[in-house]
Amino acid sequence: MAKTPALSDATALRDEAVSKRVRQLGSARDGLGEWKLQRKTALALIPLSLYFVISMVRLATSDQVTAVQWLSSPVPALLTILFVLAVFTHALVGVRSILLDYVHTRARLMSAQLLAHGVTILLSGMSVIAVVKIFIGR
Amino acid sequence: MQRPLSPFMFPIWYRFQITSALSILHRLTGMGLTVGSIALAWWLFAVAAGGELFDATHTFLASPIGVLLLFLWSVAFFFHLCNGIRHFAWDLGRGFEIHTARHSAYGVLASTIVLTALAWLAVWLI
Repeated sequence: MAKTPALSDATALRDEAVSKRVRQLGSARDGLGEWKLQRKTALALIPLSLYFVISMVRLATSDQVTAVQWLSSPVPALLTILFVLAVFTHALVGVRSILLDYVHTRARLMSAQLLAHGVTILLSGMSVIAVVKIFIGR
Repeated sequence: MQRPLSPFMFPIWYRFQITSALSILHRLTGMGLTVGSIALAWWLFAVAAGGELFDATHTFLASPIGVLLLFLWSVAFFFHLCNGIRHFAWDLGRGFEIHTARHSAYGVLASTIVLTALAWLAVWLI
């Protein structure tokens, strides 16, 4: 009887769960969902990020309009919230794909992903609350 | 056997190619912009807090280091934006021919320079 090679922890992809779930060309985990999320947020970010950058240029060149005044209007506040959420989602998917490429042991990968998730939730929550506070406090 | 690991093949195993250079630049600028997104969250927080915190944030952003960071983020942003649109063309199955991929690579670099220059000219001249 052939001896089954021991599963090594050297690479995170050598996880028992992987071989059970792979079907033909399908991904081992939730790769397709992330791939789509990356594209959807990227598509949303084309107009949203350009809007934000143009707004920053306008704020930097205007003596009259302040950031608080800008974010006190509903459309800029809403677009900034959408921009922030799209940015952090897009960044998280990107950071996760980098972690998957460079972090090879399962424990380190899991902790790094947990950290990335936590920081993303913290920063996006903080940003949204900040914009809402500016909008309400106008 | 010591096999080359794909992320580290660039200088030793591969000769320089504009397409692979832009590929790694897309990832590097993405990482830079992720760091920038932390600054974005901080800036929104500072605007909401106002007072001394906003003044300190604004003073830092207007300092030479702050302006340098903003400049680098603007370069990274326009590059990632233009190269991201190039990626969308690939997702639609277009532009995979080697000469097309090379041309679009130089197009991305040229667009990055033009858009960055336009943004900063707007800041300095208006």
